[in-house]
Amino acid sequence: MKEKSASDSELMTLIQKGEQSAMKELVEKYKMKAYYLALGMVGNKDEAFDISQEAFIRVYRSAKKYSPDQRFFPWFYSIIVNLCKDCLKRREKWDSRQVDIDENEFLTVVESNPESKMIMKEQTRNLRRALMALDFSDREIIMLKHFRDLPYDEIAVMLKIPRGTVMSRLYYARKKLAKLMSDYE
Amino acid sequence: MSDDKYRIMLSGYIDNELTPEEKLEFEQHLKDCRECQKELEAFHKLREVTGAMKYADIPEYVWENYWTGLYRRLERGFGWIFLSIGIIILLAIGVYHLFQGFFLDPGQSILLKVGIGCGAVGFIVLLVSVIRERIFACRRDRYDEVQR
Repeated sequence: MKEKSASDSELMTLIQKGEQSAMKELVEKYKMKAYYLALGMVGNKDEAFDISQEAFIRVYRSAKKYSPDQRFFPWFYSIIVNLCKDCLKRREKWDSRQVDIDENEFLTVVESNPESKMIMKEQTRNLRRALMALDFSDREIIMLKHFRDLPYDEIAVMLKIPRGTVMSRLYYARKKLAKLMSDYE
Repeated sequence: MSDDKYRIMLSGYIDNELTPEEKLEFEQHLKDCRECQKELEAFHKLREVTGAMKYADIPEYVWENYWTGLYRRLERGFGWIFLSIGIIILLAIGVYHLFQGFFLDPGQSILLKVGIGCGAVGFIVLLVSVIRERIFACRRDRYDEVQR
């Protein structure tokens, strides 16, 4: 019979007691999510990978601060967001370190047909540029809706904002993104 | 209801997040609002474009070795903490021995000794912290060969 997996708060309680296997289980469960969230925010594969690992290290080190009553993922998400913001600040400090968006293809075309893929290539390039030109908060909400396909209620919990604000922030972010896309065409 | 309100509802409409009443109300408005029709079209196009893309994957072996790499980083983190504490203690002892004559001199005021002692320990902690930061910055700088 398949063993029932522990809930996030059960895992966190075990981590608080120093159980390494619980930490491993938590990492296996959230490693991809952490990486792709960071990738959407910083637009660079190496940095996103580094951020995802650093986020787990912070979870481990601040496990004692975690209360089992709170939901794990929004807490973990706020750690990732803070790390992404630090990363972008560091990048801004050094203009010459700006990531070359064309060389670092953090977005790819799903289409397998080579002909359609070629057509989509230019569009992908424009979308990558437009996404990275958005403000952090706009990019964040676009990423959560368009690339993670999260419902408004879940986005509201993660961003700690009312559901109605999710709708309005998405509207303005989409408007800016659509404008940038048409400018690049 | 104002036009702004309907525009914001546009997002909820294409994401299917409106209540049946809101949806009906919005569709009524949409019939006569040229601006909303244009924006809806632009948002649909945007969804089409983003829907045809996904985040770039990383090789499977990277995922397989993810935990091992993370565990090493965790271990190293503790190593750095102990190393830093060790260096701070050794440097503090060194400074004490260097100025032993001053610290053991009964003619010097205790307040002066405490002040200089605290200043020296603070300086050592800052020095170790700056050196650590420089080492981390060098290790992470993948652009160090780029001419600025």
